[in-house]
Amino acid sequence: MGFLLHALRRSKPLLRSHLPHPPSNALRWISSSAALHGPASSLDPAPVDPPPKAPVGGARVHIPNPEDAIEVFVDGYPVKIPKGMTVLQACELAGVDIPRFCYHSRLSIAGNCRMCLVEVEKSPKPVASCAMPALPGMKIKTNTPVAKKAREGVMEFLLMNHPLDCPICDQGGECDLQDQSMAFGADRGRFTEMKRSVVDKNLGPLVKTVMTRCIQCTRCVRFATEIAGVQDLGILGRGSGEEIGTYVEKLMTSELSGNVIDICPVGALTSKPFAFKARNWELKGTETIDVTDAVGSNIRIDSRGPEVMRIVPRLNEDINEEWISDKTRFCYDGLKRQRLNDPMIRGPDGRFKAVTWRDALAVVAEVAHQVKREEIVGISGKLSDAESMMALKDFLNKMGSDNVACEGNGVSPNADLRPNYLLNTNIAGLENADAFLLVGTQPRVEAPMVNARIRKTVRATQAKVAYIGPPTDFNYDHQHLGTGPSTLLEIAEGRHAFCSTLKSAKNPVIIVGAGIFEREDKDAILSVVETIAKLNNVVRSDWNGLNVLLLNAAQAAALDLGLVSNPNESIQSAKFLYLMGADDVNLEKLPDDAFVVYQGHHGDKSVYRANVILPSSAFSEKEGTYENTEGCSQWTVPAVPTVGDARDDWKIIRALSEVAGFCLPYDTLTGVRARIKTVAPNLLNVDDREPSTVTLDMKPSCGQQMSPEPFRAAVENFYMTDSISRASKIMAQCSSILSKK
Amino acid sequence: MAHAALKTVKVPPNSASLEEARKRTIDFFKLACRSLPSVMEIYNLDDVVTVSQLRSTISAEIRKNAHITNPKVIDLLLFKATEELSNVVTHSKQRHHLIGQYVVGSGLIQDTGAKDQGISDFLKQFYTSNYF
Ligand code: SF4
Ligand code: FES
Repeated sequence: MGFLLHALRRSKPLLRSHLPHPPSNALRWISSSAALHGPASSLDPAPVDPPPKAPVGGARVHIPNPEDAIEVFVDGYPVKIPKGMTVLQACELAGVDIPRFCYHSRLSIAGNCRMCLVEVEKSPKPVASCAMPALPGMKIKTNTPVAKKAREGVMEFLLMNHPLDCPICDQGGECDLQDQSMAFGADRGRFTEMKRSVVDKNLGPLVKTVMTRCIQCTRCVRFATEIAGVQDLGILGRGSGEEIGTYVEKLMTSELSGNVIDICPVGALTSKPFAFKARNWELKGTETIDVTDAVGSNIRIDSRGPEVMRIVPRLNEDINEEWISDKTRFCYDGLKRQRLNDPMIRGPDGRFKAVTWRDALAVVAEVAHQVKREEIVGISGKLSDAESMMALKDFLNKMGSDNVACEGNGVSPNADLRPNYLLNTNIAGLENADAFLLVGTQPRVEAPMVNARIRKTVRATQAKVAYIGPPTDFNYDHQHLGTGPSTLLEIAEGRHAFCSTLKSAKNPVIIVGAGIFEREDKDAILSVVETIAKLNNVVRSDWNGLNVLLLNAAQAAALDLGLVSNPNESIQSAKFLYLMGADDVNLEKLPDDAFVVYQGHHGDKSVYRANVILPSSAFSEKEGTYENTEGCSQWTVPAVPTVGDARDDWKIIRALSEVAGFCLPYDTLTGVRARIKTVAPNLLNVDDREPSTVTLDMKPSCGQQMSPEPFRAAVENFYMTDSISRASKIMAQCSSILSKK
Repeated sequence: MAHAALKTVKVPPNSASLEEARKRTIDFFKLACRSLPSVMEIYNLDDVVTVSQLRSTISAEIRKNAHITNPKVIDLLLFKATEELSNVVTHSKQRHHLIGQYVVGSGLIQDTGAKDQGISDFLKQFYTSNYF
C-alpha cells in the first residue's frame, strides 16, 4: 500500500507534464483534496500553541509515575501519553478519531485492515496506527493528503469485494463500513470484475451470517478466542479465498456469542431474531439495566411503539464492560408472550375469569381478612424491584404477619451484615486477584459477566482458579478440587495442595455461590469458608476477597430490606399466600385450602396454583431500583407501555392495602423511596457502590455440622431461569440446540 | 320509513327566533326517536341496550347544549345532529361505534360513584390507569 502511494505520488507530476492539456481537467484523479499537489506544504509545522481538543469519548488517562510519560505531536498538538500506548491511542487522547475496522480496544491488535493508516514524520510510508507503538517525540499527521489518500485506497479495496446490499442489510444505518466510506472513501471505484461470494455459515439460533459481507477484520475470531474463550471461529484460506468460519460444521456455543453482532463492523454477523424486523433509526433507545441475573448489566432497550425490538449493551466499565450475555440480549421476545393482561379470578370450575381491578382487589382483601395473621405469607420473586418488595413487606407487616421472603435466599438468611451476601471485591476488582477459589458456583452460567472478568484476569495474569462443585464447563484453566464440603474442610484444615497457592497469593479471592443458600447446612459451610478466609488473609483492610455471588436481580435488595423469613416452614401452614412474581418456590407443601394470589407479568409456573391473578408490569415497563450482586443499586427506566390492564407492582400493593383497610402511607414512587431510605439508604445511591465494611470476627461461631452431600448446580438451564426467559421462544430454541451435551 | 324521511333532509333556512329553533330541536328529537327501532335492528343492539335507554341518551346529548341561546348556533348543532343521525340510520357506522359512543361512553353504564366514596385519589387513579 505504502509503496503504491509513493509511486502514485511521484508519478503524478510526471504524467501531467507529458500531457498537452491543462492537467486539472485532463486527468480524472480520485483525490480527496486539492492539497495533494503540494505534499511538502502539509509537513509545515502547525501553529505553535493550538487549543487542545477533548479526547475522543471523553476518555481520561491516568499516568502513575510521571517518568513513564512521553510526549508526541498529533497534527502539531502536543499530547502527553504513558509509555507503551499505540499511535492510535495517542491520537484518541489528542481528540482525533482514527478510522478503523480491525482495531478494538478490548481485543488484541491484528493490524490487518489498514484503515487506520496515518502519516508519521520521517517514516517512509504511512503506518498502521493501531499496531505502531508511539515513540517519544513522534510527529503524527492524521489529515495530510497522504493519510487521506491511503484511507481512500484501503476503502476502495475493501469495497471491491463488499456486496452492495445496504438496502437489505440489517446493519444499514449503524454500519462502520457505510459511515467510513461516506467519510473517507472515494466517490467512485475502478473495479469492474465480479465480486467474490462466500457461503454463509450456520452459527446457531442467535447469530445470522452473510459471509459475503465480511471484510476479514477478524474481530469476531479474536472475540471468540479471547473474551468468550471458545475456539469456534477461525480464518480459512488466503487472499481472496479467505473466509471466517467454524472449520467444521459447528454452532457457536458460548454464552457471550451475541456480542459478535456488536463488534462486527459490517453486516456479516447480525442478530437472527432481529433480522429484517426494524431499521435502527426508527427505534427509540432507553438506557436501563438487565434483570435476568444478579449482575445488573447495563443495557439499552430499543423499542418501536409498544414493542421491544432488541436489547444491546451499554458501556459500564465496572460491571459489564461492553458485553452482555445471550440471555440478556435475546430474552426480549419473552416480554411479548404469556403475558398476563387482566386481573383474573379462578371460578368454581377451575377456569380463570377476567374481572375488574375493583372486584379482584375486593376479593383478595376479603380473603386476607378471614385468615389468621400467622397464616399470611408473602414471597417476592426473582425479578422484583426494591420498591415493590418494600411495599409488600410493609403491607404484610401491617396485616400482622412477619412471613415475607424473597425466593432464592434460602432459609433465614443472615442479612445483618451486608458483606455477608455481596460480591465484596466487586466485579472490576476481580481483575486484581491472583488466586480464585470458587465454592459451589458455576459463574459461567450463573453470571456470565463475572465469569468474563475472571477469564480476563486469568488470561492477563495467569491467576490460578480452583473450583469445588459438580463437574461443569469452564472457559479458562482451572483445577477441579472436589465436589463437596469435604474438600472445603481439607482446605480449611490446611491438608489440601491448593492451600499453598492460596497462602502465597497476594490477592486471593473466594467466591461462594448463592446456590448454597438453599442448603440446610449453609451456616456451617459459610463458617468453614470464613475459616479459610481467615487463614489465608483473604480479608484485609486493603483487600476484601470474600465474596458471595448472587443469582437473581432481586436478592441483594431483598436482603437489604430484610425480607428474611423462612418460606419453607411458613408455606406449610399458609392460608393466604401472596406471590409477587415468585415462580420457583416449591408449592408442594402448601395446604390445599390455601388462597394464592399471584401478582406478576407472566403466566408462569405459579399461575397454575393461583386463585387470583393481578397483572403487573415487567422490568422494561416500570421504574424500579435493583441492587446487583456487588451492592450497586441501579434503576430500570420504562421503555414501553405496560401490557393490557397491568399496573406497577408497588401500586398494586398500595391499592390492595387501601382496599384491605391497612393503607400504606405512600402514594408516589418518591414516597416509597423515602420509606426505603429509612430501611436501606444504600438503595437510593443509584449507580454507586456502597462500600461494605470489613468484618470477620463479629460473627458468632456456628455449631452446625456440614453434611457430606456434594454441592449442586444452582442453574440447570442457563437459557431459562426466570419467567421472562422461560416465555421466550428464542431462549427455548437455544436451550434445545445449544445446551445439548 | 325513517330512512326515507331522512333521505330528503335538506338544509333549512336559518331559524328566525329562539322559538323556532326550539321547535326544530324538538322535531329532531322526535325524528331521532322514530328511527330508534330500526337502529336497534340494524346494529343488533337488543342485547346491550333498550330503546328507552337510547332515547334518554339522545335527550342527554341535546340537554348538554341547553345553555345555548343563539339560534344560529342551535341551527348548526341541529345540522350536525341530523348528519349524525343519517349516518347512523344509513348504516355508515358500525356496531362498536354506537356502543362506544352512546351505550358505554355516555355514561349509561356508569361507574357507580357510591362505591368510590371515601377512597383516596390514589385508588381512584389506580382503577383508571397505570399512568398517573
Ligand atoms: S465476520 Fe465481521 S467481525 Fe468477523 S471478520 Fe468478518 S467483518 Fe470482521
Ligand atoms: S485498525 Fe489498524 S490495521 Fe485495522
